[in-house]
Amino acid sequence: MAIPISQMWTVSTYVLKKKLTGTKRYPLVLMLEPLFRCNLACAGCGKVQYPPHILKKQLTPEECFAAVDECGAPMVSIPGGEPLLHPQIVEIVKGLIARKKYIYLCTNALELKRRLPEFTPSKYLTFSVHLDGQREHHDYAVCREGGYDIAVEGIKEAVKRGFRVTTNATFFDGTDPNSVRSFFDEVMGMGVEGVVLSPGYSYDKAPDQNRFMGRARVRRLFRAILSNRKPTWRFNMSPLFLEFLMGDRDYDCIPWGMPAFNIFGWQRPCYLLQEGYANSYKELLESTKWEDYGVPSGNPKCANCMVSCGYEAPAVIEGFGSWKGFLGMIRGTFSRYPDKHALDMLSEAAPHGSTPLVQIESPASDLEETHV
Amino acid sequence: MTAEVLKYTREEVEALELAPGAEHERLEGWVPELASDEDLRQALDKALDYRGDVTLTLKNGERIEAYIFNCQSGPTLAESFLQYFTPSAPEKRKVSYSDIARVEFSGKDRAAGKHWEDWVKAYNEKKAAGEKNIALVPEALD
Repeated sequence: MAIPISQMWTVSTYVLKKKLTGTKRYPLVLMLEPLFRCNLACAGCGKVQYPPHILKKQLTPEECFAAVDECGAPMVSIPGGEPLLHPQIVEIVKGLIARKKYIYLCTNALELKRRLPEFTPSKYLTFSVHLDGQREHHDYAVCREGGYDIAVEGIKEAVKRGFRVTTNATFFDGTDPNSVRSFFDEVMGMGVEGVVLSPGYSYDKAPDQNRFMGRARVRRLFRAILSNRKPTWRFNMSPLFLEFLMGDRDYDCIPWGMPAFNIFGWQRPCYLLQEGYANSYKELLESTKWEDYGVPSGNPKCANCMVSCGYEAPAVIEGFGSWKGFLGMIRGTFSRYPDKHALDMLSEAAPHGSTPLVQIESPASDLEETHV
Repeated sequence: MTAEVLKYTREEVEALELAPGAEHERLEGWVPELASDEDLRQALDKALDYRGDVTLTLKNGERIEAYIFNCQSGPTLAESFLQYFTPSAPEKRKVSYSDIARVEFSGKDRAAGKHWEDWVKAYNEKKAAGEKNIALVPEALD
């Protein structure tokens, strides 16, 4: 695990306090979307499909601070849209640092190198750069040739200036696990603190509705990717959540753990589904019919979801909220997860001959079921 | 969640290989017939999912161009309301279902034509034509 001790201490004491006070539902990470406007037009992204007058709207710094203060989460992720397009993003970041919030500013890094001089390195600020794989895979995924090179330039400059930097990737059906492992080698070589990764989710608003993996396929893909880890790889995520992706653990979704706030309000019930909005986090907690969501509900919209916004919070809470979880987290941090069957899966998934730009027609369905 | 929605058991969920995507309805230009309260509720549910503006005509004759982002359905139309933004005002606005006489999906559907297959097709065509730096660019906002 590549997360600094001060951040782990902040999160662990926060979780323990909630446990001691008997608080059942509380946020760990606020997903703060200050705008939906973006400088990419990714075919798989449903976040940017709005009329121009909506894309022009943005949260004010005061609205951002009020949301952060109200929910009280120790960490704030700033996705979007592209946050670096917000004219007051520096003021927003400064205000959150003043509140001692650990910030993950998610960016496609097209503007990162140019904007870096406006920011000051801090243990509270991490640039989480969207990279969906090796150069050709990333460029194809974000529908822009040359996007990878610009992002890498931004990453290297940020690392050079002393910023905390991670990469974040979303993997859809057809992902080549061998390429992802090579991608890990590449990004760790850039000096990033760690890698963040997630399976794609079939939310209704995404224009691309044909590339979503079900849970069985997600588990096989992530077992192939995350077993037999190299010692140089570091992940900026809960090790228990990674074990969940690999099929070694089971969690129930707790969408209130990573609530989303944007120009419309507090998104109900989660960052991915969009079934209305509440005016406050309190109202979100009290008026959402939580029993209608998650796997136990049988809701088909939740059927394939294994995304961090629902499932990393329970992993973090288990890790810091019980000795068993804590020991599991330590073991997961140092384990290489040796698995011969997963190695066999990698051999079977290896492409033959020259590789096309991206293997969208040769999904990971060829991988065998894992022995969980 | 309505009762008629097909529910999955945990076993079915864990065994899923591919997740079914949603069917993208072509709603642009549609004017639903609102013969009953249920017709209005269904139309507004679709309007909530629609990625474009709709034009609401109120019973007092006022026409509102709106991007609907929130619907709160209550036991009666009078107890149900929706929230929206208009292109010309910065603040969120609210209207009761019982005030709405007509709904028209008048704005451009911003999700239409942006499927993965559309990108793959466009990419292959441009590549075959020898183009460099192939990219999709965001639509202009003005």
